[in-house]
Amino acid sequence: MISNKESRYRRFVRLFLKGNQAKLGLAIVILFLVTAVFIAITGKSFLPYNPIEQDVGPVLGAPSAQHLFGTDNLGRDVFSRIVFATPNDLAVSFIVIASSFVLGIFLGCIAGFWGGLIDEMLMRSTDVIFAIPALILAMSIAVILGPGLIHMMYALMLIWWPPYARLARGEALRISQRNFVEAAKASGINTFKILTTHIIPNILTPILAYATLDIGTVVIVYAGLSYLGLSVQPPTPDWGAMVNAYQDYLVSAPWLPLFPAIVIAIVVIGFSLLGNGLRDAVELQTIS
Amino acid sequence: MQFGYYLDGLLHGDLGFSVFKGEPVSEAMLQTLPFTLQIAFFAILFTLGIGIPLGVLSAKYHHTVVDYGITGFYLAGIASPYFLLALFLLIVFTFMLHLLPSGGALSPGITAPYPITHFQLLDSLIEGRWSTFVDGLFHLIMPSLALALGIFGFITRVLRASILDVMHANYIRTARAKGVDENTLFFKHALRNASIPVVTLASIVVTWLVTGTLFVETIFAYPGIGQYAVQALSNLDYPSLLAITLVFAVIIVLSNLAADVLYAVVDPEIRL
Repeated sequence: MISNKESRYRRFVRLFLKGNQAKLGLAIVILFLVTAVFIAITGKSFLPYNPIEQDVGPVLGAPSAQHLFGTDNLGRDVFSRIVFATPNDLAVSFIVIASSFVLGIFLGCIAGFWGGLIDEMLMRSTDVIFAIPALILAMSIAVILGPGLIHMMYALMLIWWPPYARLARGEALRISQRNFVEAAKASGINTFKILTTHIIPNILTPILAYATLDIGTVVIVYAGLSYLGLSVQPPTPDWGAMVNAYQDYLVSAPWLPLFPAIVIAIVVIGFSLLGNGLRDAVELQTIS
Repeated sequence: MQFGYYLDGLLHGDLGFSVFKGEPVSEAMLQTLPFTLQIAFFAILFTLGIGIPLGVLSAKYHHTVVDYGITGFYLAGIASPYFLLALFLLIVFTFMLHLLPSGGALSPGITAPYPITHFQLLDSLIEGRWSTFVDGLFHLIMPSLALALGIFGFITRVLRASILDVMHANYIRTARAKGVDENTLFFKHALRNASIPVVTLASIVVTWLVTGTLFVETIFAYPGIGQYAVQALSNLDYPSLLAITLVFAVIIVLSNLAADVLYAVVDPEIRL
């Protein structure tokens, strides 16, 4: 099964890079990831202006060579603020997806492999979470925990895993009926070993493709929560919160709320294109 | 025990008392929910009105400039947070073109009709006040359009893929071989069968619709349940938040039920 592993991955990469949209998505994602890592390491030192310092430019200044995205109501540089918020916004999305990924695969494998009562209980609990929109549920949890970046992350982590568990369960169910799993069972290998060496490696790719597509959704939902004032508190910049703070100046300085909102949209487009490309590559690979 | 009391109250239509609003939650719900349902109704109309034709077009002209243009358009729609769409419409239609009002449910100076059904549009019709009806309609366009622009992409994407799928089916080849002309083939044979997967989207559409009302109603100052939710949130009004979450969940469960019924209508193979 895994004898031609190297060539399989190389084939996957080739299939993936065939699409122009996937390449564009990859470029956008890399750009934002590099920015996020760079800012996370160097902090404010390489930014054109201190994102929190006031009166570095005119109040509500239009975009110019000195201030690429203009300046806000307190004379802060909007470009620096947007760039400075990148690590926070991306980190939340990645951590939420990573935790859902791990938890989803763990629970999904258990449910899919053993079935029976555990399966039934797990699937019904995912039904309950599915019935309430993610944003509303996260909002209610956030109200109980109080606002803040970490609390927001906990709230999202708590509600984000069900689709992953479902997907993993379906895949695990499919794989566990294959002959090589039967053979492994018959030869007396213990269940844990079967799960880790036979089931999980085989269900990883489709779930990974879904996860990439899903990062964009977390970015949007997180931006929404931040817009509602549930995440980081001022003066720390955050994309969603910036839109909310700047929308009062829509008439006099329409670019102020638009820039952070457009940045959110670009990130989401990047991850959807990348995720679509990965999913197509997965499908092409399974077909042939 | 408290939960027991709450459940008992629920069964009697008692959703608790909102200290912030100074009235029972059920009363606040009665005042706000109809507004949101009005928006939702028009948003669904817009979503289908934009989503279906674009899906059909991009399938009919697949892998041409038309298809790529539409793909770009719906990707931008799906990827945009609702506040971006709402602010964008506000800038274009209110501040640049001066065509539509910036917010509220009615223009200042126009009194609301007497609440008979609590649906403002219906009530103004019942009273026979055309100007109020038209004014209310004008205030509805932007909020529902903002919602629709964020959602229609799901429909376009699935419809396109599903039509392309169906066009390769054997019965289409048979029909074509019998000499059915391309248009009848496309609209009568393919479209009906291709619309089955679209029905699956009902729950996604309603979920995003419900989520979207929070932002759209806040930005357009529309007095619906979304704005109520955001107010309750900033005032830590727990009974209201609880009730709103409950109402949203009920709406989504009901829409899933409706989707199941619709399946049977679209696909005669499925019997309820």
